[in-house]
Amino acid sequence: MRNELVIRDLHARVGDKEILRGVNLTLTSGEVHVIMGPNGCGKSTLAHVITGRPGYVATSGSVTLNGTELLTLEPSERVREGVFLAMQHPLEVPGVRPVDMMRAAGVTGNVESQLAEQSRRIGLRTELMERFVNVDLSGGERKRAEVVQISVLQPKFALLDEIDSGLDVDALGLVARRLHEATKEWDLGILAITHFRRLLHELTPDVIHVMSHGKIVATGGPELAEQLERDGYEPFREIE
Amino acid sequence: MKTFLNIAHSQITGLPGAVERGRLLDVIERQGLPTTTDEVWRYAPLSQFNIDTFGAPERSEASPAFINDLTHHADIVVQIDNGRYVAAQGDMPGVHVSWRDEGAIDEAPYQDDAFALLNTALHPHVLSIEVDTDVSAGTVLLVHRVGTGASFPRTRISVSRNARLTVIEVWCGGTDAFVAPVSEFEVGDNAHLTHVTYQRLDSSAWHVSRTTARIERSGRMHQSVLCLGGQYDRARNDAELVGPGAENQLWTTFLGSGDQVHDLRSHQMHHVGRTNSVLLSKGAAADRSRSVYTGLIEIERGARRTDARQTNHNLLLSPQAHADSVPNLDIRENDVTCAHASSVGPLDELQRWYLESRGVSRQDAERLMIEGFFKEMLDVLPTDVARVFEADITVRVREVVA
Ligand SMILES: Nc1ncnc2c1ncn2[C@@H]1O[C@H](COP(=O)(O)OP(=O)(O)O)[C@@H](O)[C@H]1O
Ligand SMILES: [Mg+2]
Repeated sequence: MRNELVIRDLHARVGDKEILRGVNLTLTSGEVHVIMGPNGCGKSTLAHVITGRPGYVATSGSVTLNGTELLTLEPSERVREGVFLAMQHPLEVPGVRPVDMMRAAGVTGNVESQLAEQSRRIGLRTELMERFVNVDLSGGERKRAEVVQISVLQPKFALLDEIDSGLDVDALGLVARRLHEATKEWDLGILAITHFRRLLHELTPDVIHVMSHGKIVATGGPELAEQLERDGYEPFREIE
Repeated sequence: MKTFLNIAHSQITGLPGAVERGRLLDVIERQGLPTTTDEVWRYAPLSQFNIDTFGAPERSEASPAFINDLTHHADIVVQIDNGRYVAAQGDMPGVHVSWRDEGAIDEAPYQDDAFALLNTALHPHVLSIEVDTDVSAGTVLLVHRVGTGASFPRTRISVSRNARLTVIEVWCGGTDAFVAPVSEFEVGDNAHLTHVTYQRLDSSAWHVSRTTARIERSGRMHQSVLCLGGQYDRARNDAELVGPGAENQLWTTFLGSGDQVHDLRSHQMHHVGRTNSVLLSKGAAADRSRSVYTGLIEIERGARRTDARQTNHNLLLSPQAHADSVPNLDIRENDVTCAHASSVGPLDELQRWYLESRGVSRQDAERLMIEGFFKEMLDVLPTDVARVFEADITVRVREVVA
């Protein structure tokens, strides 16, 4: 069965400020979609609204996964439905170990060895998984730890918020390859937010979306990323 | 107090230093026990405390199962019942465990503290742990079993120059008990003592403890105090930083439920310059429980470039729970760095959301974060040892956070 994540006319605010002004997007399992767009256009906000971050309020529209409305669910229920966010800035949770977090998230079996195995696959030192969640990890290590969690949880869809920032070239290659494999391994659907084409080399996107002022203003194939790299976002700002 | 003292007088007959002990009991009788009008005792439910109801300690209950797991991780395990040495297993070169019948002990440091004076008069003996110079020792586990009645355990730990040692003290039992331990730690030049107290006494126990560390030049003391049990649980943890480069880390935490009171106190005394203290206190109060943290940082004139920090975070899990934080600074030198932060409030919302965004339910996220307060305190221990405590903490937190 193909999974489908459908974002329909999504409006959202943070505080009093309307940030998303009608986002439409449909993701299908196994596909890689990419969102590019200037700083502050609402990319992270979209990821946060879908996953229920406190303070991010959907004012209208819907986000459904195989027909189930996510916006009315608790954040943890949304994950259990199958949408996972790898954060742009993964938070530290002192006192909580990854293994206990994953168990509480419903992962069964030998969680320690699953974390270790998935860490090895992307070149993350396995002992980092024994520390408290993200505490004393570098920016790049945190990003990789997010990918480890994706690999262990195996969600239907992963939202990757600038997963490439903070990673060195080698780590980026490993991470992108791992995620690409996941699209085959369990048909993971990906929505990757990025500024850089480097991630796309290995991730091989199917669709590129350009976001501006809280809306998707252009959608196309991989050639769109090339155009963005050449011309910047300026031409797209016109299309409102 | 009459009945108690009569029994006490008969108990000390024949003990070493009986005359001195008797004299101390007379001092205590004249002074009387503290009342809540004494500032430092204002949070103690002393009206419910009748020392005359506590006789000689009875045999203690069996120790909980997790202690068995712990013993596998310690190099030396010492069993102490009601402050009395029972047995020791294991040994380490350069580490000496003894139980001395010392008799009278200098009471001067405790003159204003009736409970510490009671300990000085009535402790059965001093359990002593000494580490020789340059010895990098492993872990000593002290298992304290507390029976019904009054007991006064006394401990002295001395880590000589360039030596290091980890001591874990677990307190269990304590049904209808009154236990007033006093411990003294000496940390020599460039020595390093890690000390973890895991107090999981019965919720009917009165536990009034006091520890004092004396830290010499470049010595380091890391103390973690985990307070789970007790009706009234008081932990006073002091440090005297007497040599330049001396460092004291004191991490305390509590979990209160029912009508428990956790009364945490500390006094970091910076006698000389370039000394450093870090106080971290975190705790959670549920039901009608109360907690208070009173921390005094004192910096002597001339103790330049001293660095002293105090952080206090309390979590209230019910509308009837109450937490106070009372930081005090007494600084007689300008060239110092002092910082203090304290908060009372709910759990960090974003941290909770991070866990939820992994698929952890809100309730489980909160529970994990509260357990996390304790796990942080255990971070000074090797992971395999910490894990043993963590399993026990999980059980306790699940009882409290429904
Ligand atoms: N927590 C917040 N509080 C206030 N404003 C916010 C918050 N988060 C985002 N914003 C604002 O929302 C807009 C979109 O931000 P964001 O979604 O983070 O952009 P980006 O596309 O760079 O990820 C920006 O103007 C930003 O300042
Ligand atoms: Mg962003």
